[in-house]
Amino acid sequence: MNQEYISIRHLSKKFDRSFVLKDVNAVLGKGEILGFLGPSGAGKTTTIKILTGQLRPTSGEAEVLGIPCDRIDERIYEQIGIVTDTSGVYERMTVYDNLKYFARLLNVPLDRIDPMLKRIGLYEHRKKPAGKLSKGQTQRLILARAILHRPKVLFLDEPTSGLDPSTALEIHSLLLELKKEGMAIFLTTHNMDEATKLCDHVALLNEGVIVEYGSPEEICLKYNRIKRYRVQLTDGTKLTLSQDPDTAGRIMIWMKENRIETLHSCEPTLETVFLEVTGRELK
Amino acid sequence: MKAITLKPVHLRKLAAITEVKGKALFSKNFIIMPVFSIGFTFLMDLIYGNVAGNAFNKVPMSAYALAIGTLMNISMMGIYVAAATLAEEKEKNTLRTLMTSSVNGLEFFLGSLIPVVLMTVAVNVICVFIVRLPMTPVQWAGYLAVTTVSAVIATVVGMIFGIFAKNQVSASTITTPGILILMMVPMFSGLNETLEKISGCFFTGITFDLVANIKNGSSLIDTRGILILAAELILSAALFLFLYRKNGFER
Repeated sequence: MNQEYISIRHLSKKFDRSFVLKDVNAVLGKGEILGFLGPSGAGKTTTIKILTGQLRPTSGEAEVLGIPCDRIDERIYEQIGIVTDTSGVYERMTVYDNLKYFARLLNVPLDRIDPMLKRIGLYEHRKKPAGKLSKGQTQRLILARAILHRPKVLFLDEPTSGLDPSTALEIHSLLLELKKEGMAIFLTTHNMDEATKLCDHVALLNEGVIVEYGSPEEICLKYNRIKRYRVQLTDGTKLTLSQDPDTAGRIMIWMKENRIETLHSCEPTLETVFLEVTGRELK
Repeated sequence: MKAITLKPVHLRKLAAITEVKGKALFSKNFIIMPVFSIGFTFLMDLIYGNVAGNAFNKVPMSAYALAIGTLMNISMMGIYVAAATLAEEKEKNTLRTLMTSSVNGLEFFLGSLIPVVLMTVAVNVICVFIVRLPMTPVQWAGYLAVTTVSAVIATVVGMIFGIFAKNQVSASTITTPGILILMMVPMFSGLNETLEKISGCFFTGITFDLVANIKNGSSLIDTRGILILAAELILSAALFLFLYRKNGFER
């Protein structure tokens, strides 16, 4: 494990009489992406709010950059970036001025703004009022603002929710670049493809409880009980075959005859694992 | 949003917030308030000027126009604009972003207060030039001091309303009764002794009386008036601090 940037130990949060988080444990190191994966109401946003000092936990401990979350103040805010579904932009101000405002607040050199706008593909729109941007462009602006000061930790709450696939892909690429640069990213999502593609570790969260924790591959392999192959032959026939010597023989023959169009193993996805563990879908 | 205790103010952040908030005052949502106060003062002065007929009668009428203009400006600009700009930050989800971007509560409070107070004071000065009320340097100093303190109180009161307002519409709804009371009671204080007594307890009433005293050439403000202004300044700040520490800027 790299240097720990986030550490969550036995974290619980209760609203009124019901727990929205129960005994949650997780760690996030430098240059890693940790995904909290779960349906709406699973406790993902609550976790981010606790980690960013906007909510106090009922019990347990959580630290960001070595500081307990109930003691987070502006010194820590200068080292983290936050993108949530309630992040807003100053609609009357231009794209450039939005970033300039936060650059001044966070003591960031103003000459960092144009390269950032180019990086997120908003340079051509820099003089446009932020209120005139599309949803995808607004989300990119919010993300740019969150990373402008090169934070050590980035919190993202459903960053691609409601975005078109191409914008979501652009954001994924950017997040992987940031990861390479050493940024630790705490991501919540209900999109299992996004989690599989981006995350080093995921926590499957259901009704406030982590039901599985590990790398996406580990989790999927753990639940790969019914080992099968899915084959499509050149004549259009689609077959699902169990993993056994007989199947191996058939596949070898088809391969020799050049009859295989596609061949896939059928390990479960995070979505099917979640369904198996909780009986609920990731929606 | 968590409550934050008093923390050091970084001038760099304060300047940035003040600049952005100041520019927001010139947007069409808010500029209507000072323009309305200036226009109303101009119109009142014009009408009263015609009614007064000669220069001797015009001075009291101009003073009355100034008093109403100042009253309107302090109430609407101070209270409504302060509440609405805070509500707008909540409505557009920029307040939470600011508060999780290394801005502390005191920096946001001062950055919001300063431009509103400056614009209120500037409009109050413009109103004096509109009515062409002759004032000595001492009267100018008194006028500026009292209207500035009143503007600060009004702005703090506006931010208290802003804590309760979820959006600009609700800011308008909840500030209107307060604005009307703070404006109407001094305006009609000459009609009724009880109203006069109540008016004397309002910062708007003291400002209204100050303009009348400038016109009469009498003492600008008495000790009671100074004490009331000081008490209202302290009380409004204490109430704001209490509500802020309890709920932050968002209830």
